[in-house]
Amino acid sequence: MLSKEEFINNAKIGKILARKCTKCGHPHLVTTYFCQNCGNKGFENIVIDGEGTVATYTIITVPPEGFEKAVPYAWVVMNVNNFELRISGFMANIKSPADLPLSTKVKITGYDEHGMIIEKQ
Amino acid sequence: MEKVCVIGAGSTKYGKLQDSITDIALQASVEAIESAGIGPKQIQAGYISNVFGIADKQVHLGPVIMSNLGIPEVPSLSIESACGSGSVSFREAYANVAAGFYDVVLATGIEKVTHTGTEWTTTYFSYCSDFFYEGGDGASFPGLFASMARAYLAEFKATEEDLAMVAVKNHDNGLLNPKAHLRKKITIDDVLKSAVVASPLKLYDCCPFSDGASAVILCSEKFAKTHSKNYIEVIGSGRGGSPAALQGREHITTIPSTKIAAQAAYKMAGITPKDVDFAEVHDCFTIAELVDIEDLGFFEKGQAAQAVREGRTKLNADISINPSGGLKSKGHPIGATGIGQVAEVFDQLTGKAGERTVKDAKIGLTHNFGATGASCAVHIFKSV
Repeated sequence: MLSKEEFINNAKIGKILARKCTKCGHPHLVTTYFCQNCGNKGFENIVIDGEGTVATYTIITVPPEGFEKAVPYAWVVMNVNNFELRISGFMANIKSPADLPLSTKVKITGYDEHGMIIEKQ
Repeated sequence: MEKVCVIGAGSTKYGKLQDSITDIALQASVEAIESAGIGPKQIQAGYISNVFGIADKQVHLGPVIMSNLGIPEVPSLSIESACGSGSVSFREAYANVAAGFYDVVLATGIEKVTHTGTEWTTTYFSYCSDFFYEGGDGASFPGLFASMARAYLAEFKATEEDLAMVAVKNHDNGLLNPKAHLRKKITIDDVLKSAVVASPLKLYDCCPFSDGASAVILCSEKFAKTHSKNYIEVIGSGRGGSPAALQGREHITTIPSTKIAAQAAYKMAGITPKDVDFAEVHDCFTIAELVDIEDLGFFEKGQAAQAVREGRTKLNADISINPSGGLKSKGHPIGATGIGQVAEVFDQLTGKAGERTVKDAKIGLTHNFGATGASCAVHIFKSV
């Protein structure tokens, strides 16, 4: 199975499939082939709970194709709990910055035609 | 390595243009050739930067341009590096002259997209992101920079008014540039009241989608000395990369590729940021200019908003940032922008910049990146 498919299947159950370098322990998202820290090719797959906090985000009002009906929505970058890892995704029904202060607790809840789905906890 | 000079430059007006992508590329190229005082037969290679030729039914632009310049036998290279295509192409042209492969080359950048409309451009530009992680989750380009902006405003206690001041300053400069796309004086209030595109960025925080072409002629110093009295020297050239997706970066409020490229360029030139008289920087969105002028070393991290507030980046203040009007006002035909920046430096350092001249300028810098700075090139030039 392609790593992207495994990644998506994990996202559908609220998990993040990641890779930990067997040499230096640096965590990566699953599409990486060599460790960005030490250049090592060996990784062990790890499955992480898709929970964290909002690092930053935007509220999109002029969307790309496929997102017209979702406007306004947020595109969120999330700090993953307990790992030096961030992941970004789509969050529905965010109309103003008051709806989503930075550091709000969020979680991955699925993967669909809008990509990675993130919701408030 | 051979010393490399720029001996000619040309640009179409940037904006909504009627002529085809090939026509505007040729208009800029011919202007550059005539500005250099050479003939087309002296050109030994072409470097052609473009991203969305497909939108105007012409890719593989190099041979078409060369053929119409009357030099179909001359080799060309087509280069795509998103919004940084022009500077990356310039770098390849520079490296080949420096290495001694060629004495004289043409670098032309072109983009023609405004006829496609906002939905097409918003969608296709999102393909320049790390699409699996960003565009595919609904991130537009304004959205990616808006995410940087939200993080920056929170981390450094800057405000949306500070962002607006960047737009106001660049529009003031663009008013003095006859080839600029948006020649219109604006106020902070205009920016703050413009429609939200991707919160916290509003329409006037964003550069326009532009059509346009720019071209320059590069040559060896030996050729410049014997064929031209009006040229500038390339004294620094640096390139760098960043994690393609914002999520992969240690800090969201800095662009690693800018720092890497700038350090390499300063080292080659043997100068520090304090020696730079003016810079054309990649202000695709107002937030980008704040991040750029910190990453380029002109201001400490977190101090850019204060510097803009104090007017230190205005034309002929401490350091003139984007005297051309920048991407924000001059416009952003993405394949042409990096070459257009070099054309501006050429005009500035050879006394052709008219009302927007940076007084007594000796050293100019260009900074141009692709996507959210995943790729970047910085070049430094001095008057001769």
